[in-house]
Amino acid sequence: MATSRSEPATAPSLRKDESGTPPFRRVLVANRGEIAVRLIRACHELGMEAVAVYSDADAGAAHVRLADVAVRLGPAAPSESYLRIEAIVGAALDTGAEAIHPGYGFLAERAAFARAVEDAGLAFVGPPSESIDALGDKLHARRTAHAVGVDAVPGTLEPAPIDRADQVAGIVADAERIGFPLLVKAAAGGGGRGMRRVTTAAELPAALVSGSREAASAFGDGSVYLEREISPARHIEVQLLGDVEGRVVALGERDCSLQRRHQKLIEEAPAPGLTAEARARLHELAVRVASASGLRNAATAEFLRAPDGAFYFLEVNTRLQVEHGVTELVAGFDIVREQFLLAAGRPLSAAAIAAAGRAASPTGHAIEVRLSAEDPARDFAPAPGRVLRWTMPSGPGVRVDTALEAGDRVPAEYDNLIAKVMIHAGDRDAAIDRLRRALDETEIAGIQTTLPFHRFVARDPSFRAGDLSTGWVGEHWDGPGEYRRAVEVAQLAAGLAAMDAAVAAGGAMVASVAATGTATATPTDGRWHRSGLEAAHDRWPR
Amino acid sequence: MPDPRGVRVTLAPGSATLDVPPLVLEPAQIPVAPAARVTARGLLGGTAPIRPAAPPDPDGHRHVLLNGEPAEAELILLDGVRAILARGGPAGTRDRVLILPPAPALGAARGVARREVVAGGWRVELEVEPAARAALRERARRGREEVGHSGPTEVHAIIPGVVISVSVAAGDAVTAGQQLLVVEAMKMQNELRAPRDGTIGRVAVGSGTTIEVGDLLLVIS
Repeated sequence: MATSRSEPATAPSLRKDESGTPPFRRVLVANRGEIAVRLIRACHELGMEAVAVYSDADAGAAHVRLADVAVRLGPAAPSESYLRIEAIVGAALDTGAEAIHPGYGFLAERAAFARAVEDAGLAFVGPPSESIDALGDKLHARRTAHAVGVDAVPGTLEPAPIDRADQVAGIVADAERIGFPLLVKAAAGGGGRGMRRVTTAAELPAALVSGSREAASAFGDGSVYLEREISPARHIEVQLLGDVEGRVVALGERDCSLQRRHQKLIEEAPAPGLTAEARARLHELAVRVASASGLRNAATAEFLRAPDGAFYFLEVNTRLQVEHGVTELVAGFDIVREQFLLAAGRPLSAAAIAAAGRAASPTGHAIEVRLSAEDPARDFAPAPGRVLRWTMPSGPGVRVDTALEAGDRVPAEYDNLIAKVMIHAGDRDAAIDRLRRALDETEIAGIQTTLPFHRFVARDPSFRAGDLSTGWVGEHWDGPGEYRRAVEVAQLAAGLAAMDAAVAAGGAMVASVAATGTATATPTDGRWHRSGLEAAHDRWPR
Repeated sequence: MPDPRGVRVTLAPGSATLDVPPLVLEPAQIPVAPAARVTARGLLGGTAPIRPAAPPDPDGHRHVLLNGEPAEAELILLDGVRAILARGGPAGTRDRVLILPPAPALGAARGVARREVVAGGWRVELEVEPAARAALRERARRGREEVGHSGPTEVHAIIPGVVISVSVAAGDAVTAGQQLLVVEAMKMQNELRAPRDGTIGRVAVGSGTTIEVGDLLLVIS
C-alpha cells in the first residue's frame, strides 16, 4: 500500500479496483481559513482523516477544531509557519499522513514544495512539481501556449532586465512596440502583486523597479515582464482536470471580470453571453495548453476576452482556485474529491468525464461573491479586526464556505477573504435575485467587509445585463457616496435608539441618554449608570 | 438651544475620511398638529420648549425633528441588536440595521457613548451625546477658535501593518498627493500620500516599524 502511494504516477492500474476505498488513510491540509475547512470536509466525506497545521494566530481556528490531528508550525508570520516547507512535510511524516493538499495561496504553486512532498514519498494533491515549475512561471507558460498555436496576450516572452541600467532603452523599445497602456507583471505573480499599470514610457523604469520589489517580497522572485493592457476585457478561466494517463478535460468556464486592483471580487459560471461554439472553442484552447504542459490533477487556464470576442491566453494556475465552487455547483461535481482520487493515481472518474461532456452546454447558473475584510469606501483597504457578529445566509441555493465564527479575529497577517457566498439557481436572473436576497440576510459587525459592494452589484442593472469588464468596478462603484447614505441611516437609527432608551429608562435623566443602551442595557448597570449621573451633574462643557 | 431630550449623533473620529455633518434628533413636541409649525416657532423663539414628548401615533409612525426639520421616523426593535428604521410613514422606506451595544467613547467626555451601527453592510461608528450638551460645547469651542487656527496636521495610520519605506524626512517640503511612505498590510503594499501641502515637521516611524490603527506616522506643518 505505502509503496504504491509513494509512486502514484507509475502505478495507476493498482488503484482501479479500489474505487470503493478511500484514496488515502490520512491527509495533511497545508493551509488555513475557509479553504482548509473545505478540504477537511472533503477528506471526511471520503472517509479519510485530516491533519491540520496552524500558526500561533490560528491556534483556536475553525480548521484546527475540525481536523482529526493538528500540528503547530510556528509564529503568526507566514514565513515562520504556513510557508515552512520542511516543517509541513515533517508534520505529515510524523502524523502518518500519506498525502498533502496545499489549498490555494501559501505553498500551493511552489514547485519546491511539491518536490519536497514527492521526495518524502508522499502524494502531492495537485499538479506534479515539473508542471508547477513550467506553468507557474508565467513567461514559460506564455512560450508554451505560443508553441501550440494558442494566442497569448501580446507582450514580452523573456524577463525584463531591470537591474541593468544600460538596457533600459531596450525595455522602452519593447514597450513602444507593445503599445501603451501596458502592464508590468511578475513572472511568479498572482493576485495582482508585483503588477503595475504604465501609461507612458517615462513611468516605465519606476514601475519596473517597484513591481519587481513587490514581487520579490511576495514570491521571492523579482522577474517582471510586459504585457499589453486589453481594455475593456473580460477575464474568463477554464477549470481543468487531468489524470496520470495524460487525459485532460475541461469542466467549464468561469467569468471573473469583476476585479479590483486585479483581485477578483465576484465570479460566475457559466460566463454570460458566450455561444456554445465560443464556449467549446475556449475549452479546447485551454485543454490544448494544459496537455502540452503535461498537466495532471486540477488547474485553471485563464484567458482575456477582448471586445471583438477573441480569447487571449493569460496564464495557468496550477492549483485549486478560490472560486472552484461555482464550477462545482453548475457541473454538479466535487472537484476537491476528484483531486484526492487523481492524486492517488486513479483515472478520471466517470462523473468527471460526464461533467466535461456537459460543459459546453451548461444548465443552471452559479455566482460567488468574496466577502473580504476590506473597506469598499476607502479603495478596498484591508480592515482586519474582531468579528462581533456573523450571521451567514442560508436557504435554497445558497452555499457559504467560511471558517469564520462570531468572536474570531481576522488576522492582519493573512489573506483578508473571510467567506465565499455561492448562489446556485436555474438561470442567471434567478441567481442574481437569490444573491440579493442572501446578501440582505447576511449580518457582519465588528469589521468592515465588502458586503455593501456586493449588495450594490446584486442590484445593478448593468451587472444584470451581463455588461462586465475588468474595469467595471472603477466605472460603477462610488464607495464614499454609498457609505455616506449608510451613515445617514445609521445616525438616525442610533439617535432614535438613544432617545427611546432614555424614555424607557424614565425619561427624566436627560444626560444619561447617550450612556444607556437599547432595551438590553439595564438602567442600574453600574459603570454606565454612574457615568450618566456624573454627566447630569457636570453640565458645563469642558 | 435644542430640546433637552434631543441627542446629537456624529461620526466617531478616526472612523472615516468623510466629512459628514452631525445629526441632531429631537422629539416632536405637544401639541403636534401640525408638528411643523409649532416646532419651527419654538426654535425660532430661541427658548427651550420643555414639553412632554408626543405620544406615539396610533397608526404606528412617529414625528421627530431632524436638524430642526420635521420628519417621520421610527426604530422598530426586532431583538437586542436587529432593528428596522422606518422613515416617511407607512408608505416610506424601511432599512434593516444592526445596533450593537454601546461602548465607552475613547478619550471623549463622559456622557458620550460610542455605538457601532451596521446599515446595508456598512459598519458605521458613531458618537451619541445629549444635543444640549453638545451645543454648549460647540459654542465654547468656537469661542476658542476665534483666536485663529492653522496648526500642524497629524497623519495617523488608518490600517495596521508594517512600514516598508519612508520617502520623506523632517524638513522636506511636500505637496498634496505626494507619496510619504509605503505600508505593507495583508501582503499588499499601500502608498500613503500627503493630505495637503506643507513641510514635514516630524517623522514618527521608520522602515520596519509595525503600526496599529491610529498610530502617529508623521506631522505636516
